[in-house]
Amino acid sequence: MKELVRPFPVPDEQSAEFWKAASEHVLTIARCSRCAALTHPPDVVCPHCHSTDPAFEFTPVSGRGTIRSWTVMRKSFLPGFDNDVPFVLVDVELVEQADLRLIGRLIDGVTVPLAVGNAVRLAFEDIAPGVAVPAFALEDRA
Amino acid sequence: MTGRFTAGKQVAIVGYAQSAIERHSASPLGVLAVETARAAIADAGLAVDQVDGFVTASLFPSAGAHLPEDGVSLVSANWLAEHLGLSPRYAAGFQGFGQIPGSVSIAVNAVASGAADYVLVHRALHNPRGVYHENPMQEVRGDRQWTAPQGYFGPLAMIALAYNEYLQRYGARRESMAEVLVEARKNGSRIPWSYWYDQPLDAEEYLAAPMINDPICRFDCDIPVDGVAAFLFTSAERAKDLPHPPVYVAGYASGVPATKRLPLHWPLDDIMSVGTCLAQRLWDSAGVKPGQIDLPQLYDGFSPFVYFWLEALGFCPVGEAHRFVEKGGIDSDSPTGLPILSGGGALGNGRMHGVPQMLECYLQLSRRAGERQRTKTTLGLACHSSPHYGGAILYSADPL
Repeated sequence: MKELVRPFPVPDEQSAEFWKAASEHVLTIARCSRCAALTHPPDVVCPHCHSTDPAFEFTPVSGRGTIRSWTVMRKSFLPGFDNDVPFVLVDVELVEQADLRLIGRLIDGVTVPLAVGNAVRLAFEDIAPGVAVPAFALEDRA
Repeated sequence: MTGRFTAGKQVAIVGYAQSAIERHSASPLGVLAVETARAAIADAGLAVDQVDGFVTASLFPSAGAHLPEDGVSLVSANWLAEHLGLSPRYAAGFQGFGQIPGSVSIAVNAVASGAADYVLVHRALHNPRGVYHENPMQEVRGDRQWTAPQGYFGPLAMIALAYNEYLQRYGARRESMAEVLVEARKNGSRIPWSYWYDQPLDAEEYLAAPMINDPICRFDCDIPVDGVAAFLFTSAERAKDLPHPPVYVAGYASGVPATKRLPLHWPLDDIMSVGTCLAQRLWDSAGVKPGQIDLPQLYDGFSPFVYFWLEALGFCPVGEAHRFVEKGGIDSDSPTGLPILSGGGALGNGRMHGVPQMLECYLQLSRRAGERQRTKTTLGLACHSSPHYGGAILYSADPL
């Protein structure tokens, strides 16, 4: 049997721009053209102003943020990650907007001590040619 | 507007049945459902053709690759009615989380409105062969594309993030949760139909289990099972002519829509802010206060839900649930303990969703709990799922 690999995102009408930018190592977030609020993931109605025509534009963001929570994935229910466990997932609040949260892997490994409020910066994992997945790395602490 | 229900205590549970709770049943799920439904109808002193309403929530709650099939891995209300040979006046399915309170509220509304006279609420849960949540997907479409490529997948990671947020924010220790597991399994071990019958768990064994998604180990998760439960609802008036003491529905509430999030992202603040509103609407629906509840059966499909419900419902201050359980606050054998898991919960019975909570309320309030009968059980509460997506029902042994 063929060994399973990490699952690939399949871009659709709503997500194509996000994944194209990600492949160039740029993190973008959907911005509502009516109220300018950021939403992740995008929706068909803006969850902030409830416009039915939000005309979301994927806007580059810094990818800087703080850790709100984390977990160490010692087992994944996606067998494509069997060669990657254990790994850390972080729940990150981006600096661009209060409570704008993303979840991604922390590339620093599982032994580094973590605390709520730790600053992180953007990183990318290139999982295949032309496919990159946003991740995070701890900011160097001065 | 007070939020008080005009139909409070006008609808009652009048009978029940539950199948064996097994890791893998020898019978197909649909067969278990038909047999359990017939047993519940007989228990209520009714004939099958008197039942004119069917309600369920049929969701098969697995992230795995198993293709859900009616009658095999789930059982819808229509499927059950049809296979009992009936064409009921009313059949409905609840779509959201909090499947048990959601179904109960639909059944209560159906009886109160006159849409049906005798409503059967059932829940059928299946454990497919293989690892329950395992999914060999190689391509991710739809909303999972925002999380699965990163490796965020399945409900254990979901509850792990919320639980770790709790531990960090309140300086709580995993050791405190041993009290929850020991209590659930102690009570489950006394229940003959439980998967964990005669198998209590001690704190050492709980704490020795390896992490799966930190800080969640396998004992923090209920075990998947095959099982079906069914309950009969009718009006308080009709209940007078039936064999068992009725247990009245005094009120209910469910979670309001929470903040738009990534799939399966349940931050602690979402859980608690919506959960606190749910609790207020629940008390308002029946005009009661938390201190009046004799039997608050809290949902525990993942152990941290016990903390979240204790705090959202106001049984202890926010951030204090870990200390509350450490001090023996949930020991159902102690006269001062709050019996939140006296029915064993999901951790002490198996993955029957909110059935153990509902069943314990029914058995204790109808005085049908046998050797486990508690002395003072007048007002019960049964909740299910997370406080921000789930729901809760208030049950009363006293009529209007």
